[in-house]
Amino acid sequence: MKTTIQEQDGNMVAILEGSLDTAAVPETEAAMSPLLDVAGKDIILDCTDLQYISSGGLRIFLGILKSAQAKGGQVFITGMNNDVRAVFAMTGFINIFKFK
Amino acid sequence: MANNVNLDAHGQELIRQYRELRPALKQLATQAYDELRQALDEQGIYVTAMEHRVKTEHSLAGKLELKGAKYKSIDDITDLVGLRIITFYSDEVDKVAAIAKRIFDIDWQDSVDKRKLHELDAFGYNSLHYICRLRTGGPRFELQMRTALQHVWSTMTHDTGYKGDVKIPREYLRQFSRLAGMMELIDDEFSRLRLVLADYRRQIQSMVKSGKLDEVPLSAGTFRSYLDLQPFNRLNKRIAAVNQAEIYPVPLMPFLPVLESFGLETIGDVQRFIDENSEDAYQLTVSQLAITDLDILSSSTALQNLCLVHVLKQGGGHAGLKAVFDTINGETTANAMLADMILEQAATLPFMSHK
Repeated sequence: MKTTIQEQDGNMVAILEGSLDTAAVPETEAAMSPLLDVAGKDIILDCTDLQYISSGGLRIFLGILKSAQAKGGQVFITGMNNDVRAVFAMTGFINIFKFK
Repeated sequence: MANNVNLDAHGQELIRQYRELRPALKQLATQAYDELRQALDEQGIYVTAMEHRVKTEHSLAGKLELKGAKYKSIDDITDLVGLRIITFYSDEVDKVAAIAKRIFDIDWQDSVDKRKLHELDAFGYNSLHYICRLRTGGPRFELQMRTALQHVWSTMTHDTGYKGDVKIPREYLRQFSRLAGMMELIDDEFSRLRLVLADYRRQIQSMVKSGKLDEVPLSAGTFRSYLDLQPFNRLNKRIAAVNQAEIYPVPLMPFLPVLESFGLETIGDVQRFIDENSEDAYQLTVSQLAITDLDILSSSTALQNLCLVHVLKQGGGHAGLKAVFDTINGETTANAMLADMILEQAATLPFMSHK
């Protein structure tokens, strides 16, 4: 699992590549922790190359969303494949996030 | 000294005292504002605007030129610091006044309720002015309280020169009075309407709670009240038990247009929709989650699957499923994939063979 965070067009973008399974949660959570401090910018979670997401991964996404909303920011998800989208639909998380 | 103003020695002395006092006045304005802001927040009173100012030297000099002899010392001038609160409704002016009475000392001798000063056969449209002092002492300050419409009236009459030095002909004064009367009526009607709506809301909530659901039309307000009863909790808990999942609460109001699109017209219809589809929605969820280890769900899971099952049982098929996702999450091409996925997951479930 590889996580890259960079600034693009005034937004903070996290590019997620690989499988965010239970084993990958701790390192991904640490890699994405700078997003918890983002204020005044929108956050984009680029899931184009994310192959799978576990409950732990959903919790990381949720933590980032709650942190951003508390500061008046927004979180968008882009480029989900069908498997990841299916997880979001089954868990009702599809009703929580905004998608681009 | 301010331009174009001629003050006598007494006036100049008052200006000197004002300059000395000015830093304390600035501090007073901020402190009075903060105390009132905090008290309003604590009482949950939302106002359209709240402002504070220290009278400028130019403005004070103009006042002293006109009636400087009236004031023995700078302490006699009560509007050096001014706070203005603009509320939405006329009854909120009284609430703000009650709060001001609680947190400040009011100088009743100099306070004016201009709303009560009018002759019976005349209209006027003014605000409530209190002369206050902080409980900790210090100079007095003026607190103006008015509604948004009173503020509009005040601003516009000032702009049109109603209070200027030119004598306004009687016919125009009468037109001002007619407008003021109309504004008072509008203010009162807004307050009355708010009370009527609050009463209606309470009635509906009471009907929902007492179970007279078929008498309650489905609307944003009634659906919100119905959600207070947590009608999807039971199914959500049953679903969560499949994987011992935690449930993350989310707003369910976005589902209202979906329920309306099903032709549900009363809260009773919604209750029947839940009763008739719960078992099948549970079966659909089991077919989705049992093969996963997903142990976090949003509280929209039950309602989402109730909607999907309803569509399938009504023969809505792929188009109907996609329409549900389009309504809740906005139209995207990915919703077609989700519709396909649901069709596949539901294909072998009992309700699909009985529809």
